[in-house]
Amino acid sequence: MKPAVFEYVRPASLDEALDVLHQRGDDAKVLAGGQSLVPMMNFRLARPAVLVDLNGLGDLAFIRPAADGLAVGAMTRQRTIEKSAVVRERAPLLAEATPLIGHLPIRTRGTVGGSLVHADPAAEYPAVMVALDAEFTLARKGATRRVPAGEFFDTYLSTTIRPDEILTEIRLPGTSPQAGAAFVEISRRHGDFALVAAGAVVDVDGAGRIGGARIALGGVGPRPVRARTAEGMLVGQRPTAALLAEAAATVMPETDPPEDIHASAEYRREMSAVFTRRALAAALARAGVQV
Amino acid sequence: MKLEGSHDIPVPRQKVWAAFLDPEMLRQAIPGCERLEATGDDEYKATLKIGVAAVKGTFEGKVKLSDKHPPESYHMAVEGSGGPGFVRGGTVISLADLEGGGTRVSYSADVQVGGLIAGVGQRMLGGVSKMMADKFFGKMGELLQAAA
Repeated sequence: MKPAVFEYVRPASLDEALDVLHQRGDDAKVLAGGQSLVPMMNFRLARPAVLVDLNGLGDLAFIRPAADGLAVGAMTRQRTIEKSAVVRERAPLLAEATPLIGHLPIRTRGTVGGSLVHADPAAEYPAVMVALDAEFTLARKGATRRVPAGEFFDTYLSTTIRPDEILTEIRLPGTSPQAGAAFVEISRRHGDFALVAAGAVVDVDGAGRIGGARIALGGVGPRPVRARTAEGMLVGQRPTAALLAEAAATVMPETDPPEDIHASAEYRREMSAVFTRRALAAALARAGVQV
Repeated sequence: MKLEGSHDIPVPRQKVWAAFLDPEMLRQAIPGCERLEATGDDEYKATLKIGVAAVKGTFEGKVKLSDKHPPESYHMAVEGSGGPGFVRGGTVISLADLEGGGTRVSYSADVQVGGLIAGVGQRMLGGVSKMMADKFFGKMGELLQAAA
């Protein structure tokens, strides 16, 4: 399969890339790792007139400690994140989720920014970012803005990014060093998009009570679902198996899962509770509490 | 692919019924609809421009309304094709009074999608179709309330 004819631009600087998008944004697509866009172009489902390749912008690939959290450049390869000690230390949920993305060759080429802007609701990174309250820096010619992850994802493959904008950086607030994180998912085969994915970060205070809980799910609606009701039920409580099950059950009515040949909507909804509970139990175990 | 759902619109049933048969209202509410022209009694020619992510396509198609039972229900048949594939299907649209005023609009559709988009986009089709149906009924509700 070969793509339809397109014009190829490889800017040497972010400003140059933003200039091209300023002029031709509506007809252009930005190429990051190309792990979704290139197959779609080869199938001729996507036919952008101009392809703006960001792979020459080395300064968009970085992982830096920032305040008590982390700043990650949008062109950072998923494989780099997977192997990063500072990610494991400062954003363990991101580290946990990364090996579940596709397969090794996909992660070697695929970028964090590409996955986020593609906004597949079953992908791991959108759920991770919503759970962690990440903030995205979007640049356009002459301006930048910051958008919280919770306001970025709109619906299937759609975000609030404008056609003339590029996602340049992801800021992750720090989580408590005592927190445990876990990301679990169910898919038909390893490497497939998840039917249901759940990520949780939980910390337990000195008195054995849950100090903070963050939970987000993927695959169960048009965008990642933050399980705020469940989080509220957990905070301040002593973790027990019954409490986790009760809190996890509250996510079911908050989901709006799709139905396809792989699984019914009902199954996905049921699994949203099961995997929330498993993510919570695994996160608590890593925080030193067996439930 | 079966799609079902319902939307509540706080407008009396008679008005909702009229709106769901009004080509101008339908044109404004159908996602991506650029043109909807009458070609006969209850038959229309439609042009839809639909874009989800990098996939953009223009669909040309026909819409036919039948089995009208005012102000209860009617059947809408749709067929269309474009670059990314084709869509063929029908839906029954039924209206019922809500307690305390307003109307519940329910739909039960059977839709077939074929061609490239069905082969490659299979994982998203159900979700995107549901989202478009939601957009359509949501917009009809907005238009009706704005007119009230």
